[in-house]
Formats: sequence, C-alpha cells, structure tokens
Amino acid sequence: MIETLPELATIVLQNGDEAPFLTDVGAAALAVGLASLAAGYAERGIGAAAVGAIAEDDDMFVPGIVMTVLPETLVIFAIVAIFLVQ
Amino acid sequence: MSVGASNPEYVNARVRSRRASLFADEDYRKLIRMGPSGIARFMEESEYEREINALGARFSGVDLIEYALNRNLAKHFKDLLDWSEGRLYDLIAQYLRKFDVWNLKTIIRGVYTDADPEAIQTDLIRAGDIDDRTLDRLVEVDSIEDAIDVLYGTIYYEPLSAAYKEYEETGALVPLENALDREFFEHLLDGFRRPNSYEPQEGPEAMYLEFLQAEIDFRNARNALRLARSGADLDPAEFYIEGGVLFDPGELSRLVADYDELVDHIAENKRYGDRLSVALDRLREADSLIQFEHAIDAALLEYSDRLSSIYPTSVSAVFSYILAKEREVENIRAIARGREVGLTESEIEDELVIL
Repeated sequence: MIETLPELATIVLQNGDEAPFLTDVGAAALAVGLASLAAGYAERGIGAAAVGAIAEDDDMFVPGIVMTVLPETLVIFAIVAIFLVQ
Repeated sequence: MSVGASNPEYVNARVRSRRASLFADEDYRKLIRMGPSGIARFMEESEYEREINALGARFSGVDLIEYALNRNLAKHFKDLLDWSEGRLYDLIAQYLRKFDVWNLKTIIRGVYTDADPEAIQTDLIRAGDIDDRTLDRLVEVDSIEDAIDVLYGTIYYEPLSAAYKEYEETGALVPLENALDREFFEHLLDGFRRPNSYEPQEGPEAMYLEFLQAEIDFRNARNALRLARSGADLDPAEFYIEGGVLFDPGELSRLVADYDELVDHIAENKRYGDRLSVALDRLREADSLIQFEHAIDAALLEYSDRLSSIYPTSVSAVFSYILAKEREVENIRAIARGREVGLTESEIEDELVIL
C-alpha cells in the first residue's frame, strides 16, 4: 500500500485544474471546524471546574460562565479565516 | 477498581473551595476565649450547623462538639468519594483507608479495655473502606481474636493475624497497631512497587508519590522520637515503615538518640531542607515531645500544600485538604477539651497546630 502512496499524491495534486482536492473555502471550513474541536476540548476541563465551584458557592456562577466560554475566542479567530478567503 | 475517565478538575474546584472555608487563625483565637457552649454556638453558625442541630438534642457540652466534628469529618470525606470517578476515586478511596486504620485501632483498644460498645461506636469515623455493617459487628465482639475473624477477607486480616501471636506473647497492643499502620502505608505504595513499574520522576504521579513518602518519613520520625522520649526499651527499627526517603532503619535508630542531629538530618535532606525552613526552625525550638509532634504536623501540612499547587489537577490537592480538615477537627477538639479541664489560653494555644 505504501508503494502506491506517491502515485496517489501525484494524482490528487495534478487534479488541481478542474476540481481541486481542497479549495480555499474548504480549507477555511476545516480551520473553523478544528478550532471548534479544540475550543470544546479546552472547555471540558474549565466547565467541570466551574460547575464544581458553583456547587460550592452560588456567587461563582458569573465568573464560572465567563471562564468557561473564554476558549471560544479560538473559534472567533478561526472565523477570520473565512473572511480572508472570500 | 473503577472504570472511566477521572475528573480531577471538578473535584479540585470543590476541594479548593472547601479548603478555603476552613477556620482561619483568627477563628481559633476567638474560639480559645469561649467556653464549650460558646464553641458549639460558633460552630452552629459555620459549616457544622447541620451536625450540631442533629446531635444537639442528645448531647451537650464537649461531647456534642466532639461527635459533631467526627460526623462532619465523615460527611466531607464521603463527599469526596461521591464526586470522584475513575482513577481519582481509586486513589482517594485508598487514602481514606486511613480511617479504617483509625477505627480498627479504636475498636481494638475498646475491646482491650472492655469498653461499652456504645462508647466505642461514637468514636468511630465512618469514612473508610470497611462498610457500616462490618463496623457494627466489630464493635460488638468480645475478644480481639473474634474481631480479627470478622475482618476475614479484608486486607487487614493477614497482617493482624500475624501480629496477634506477638500480642498473645507480650500482651501489648503495639504489634497490632503497628501492623495496621504498616499495611496501610505499604498498600498505598503498592502501585509503584510492581516489578515492571517505574518511579515517575515528574508530573502529577510523582507529586503523589512524594506526598506519600513525606507522610511516611514524618511518621517514622515521630514514632522514633516518641520511643526515645518515653524511654521505652524497644527497637525503633521495629516501628519502621518502609517506603520513605529520609531514613533507613539503621540511621533511624542512631538519630533517635540525638534530637539535634535528627533535625539536622531533616534539614540536610535536599527534598525537605529548603522547602521547610520555617517549620524546621520551629522544630529546633520545640522543647517538649508535644511541641515536636505539632511542629511535624505543621511541617507536613505546609509541605502538602506546596505539592498541591504544583500541578493544578493532581490528586495532591485532595490529600492536602484531607490533612487540613483533619487538623481543623483536632484543633477544635483540643480547644474544647482544654477549656473543659480549665487550661489557660496560652496553654491551649500550645496544643494547636496553626500554620
């Protein structure tokens, strides 16, 4: 299988003229998707800690929410990529 | 063994919040000036409200305080087990066996002195691994041998049966209690002893190991000093718990004779020396055994706090909370008992372990 890999890569790349393997918009979409995945992973831990803090002390509700959504900024930066390619 | 991912973030957030709401130095200063009923009232306005109210009708005075403290302690540690999952649960459950050891010691001592089952019952802290039914059966037994039989199937059965022979020969409880302590600590370290395991050098696991080693080291130091000061004709090596990094058995027997040398030995150790400079100064000033023990407790507490802040999601934070909570309960008990027998304020202050 490994021997056929270079061949596969050439075909994918040569195909660029009519229907490219990955368009600019497609790449931007991929960027947003991966960024969201990363943000979700980061929020997992923060959210768990925030819920723990809120369970002990109700006043932590607002700081807890603010902290939990902070990694969401990652996705906002990724969205910039969409405007760049359009 | 429980399965699934562990949730250190959640547990640590809750534990740190509870750690922050423990009594502060000023609270102790206030408590020292109160009588038992004042202390009970103060506790009713704090964390201990539910326990004081539940037990208030049945007990009064110092007994009320003591039972409320025990019950609150058990509640908090049960909570820890409720929250945690996966490997974190296993580690905490293993560590909470500490209270099994405490309960078994209490029961053995109770049976030895023919105490009333009811009286033993109230001194138990139901936070360990042994379930309530077994504990209830243990309290009712007539002889230590029966108690050991009830424990058949638990990890304590074998070491206790081995120690029982020695107990029969000497009539002293020391071998039994020693066997319990040793089983507890060595069981904790089992995970790092398996043939193909390695000793982690850094990361949360290493902190966990370091915490256990620190506790064993300080326990060894304390046992040794107790023996030396009481002048008992026992070999310190017999009480040695394996797994620490500070002493080996031979060293311990030698250092016990000379107090200053012992403190120097702790200070020279590269792990504890720099981190415990304040506590070590206090150790040097300590002139009685009680002060020394309190200084050791304070040192362990300080050390565990430090370990817990290195890796935010390690289990060390939970252990440092367990130690701190235990310390709080012991402090309040010391104040209440001290007031009851009429000690002066400065005498009670000597009994407290404050960082």
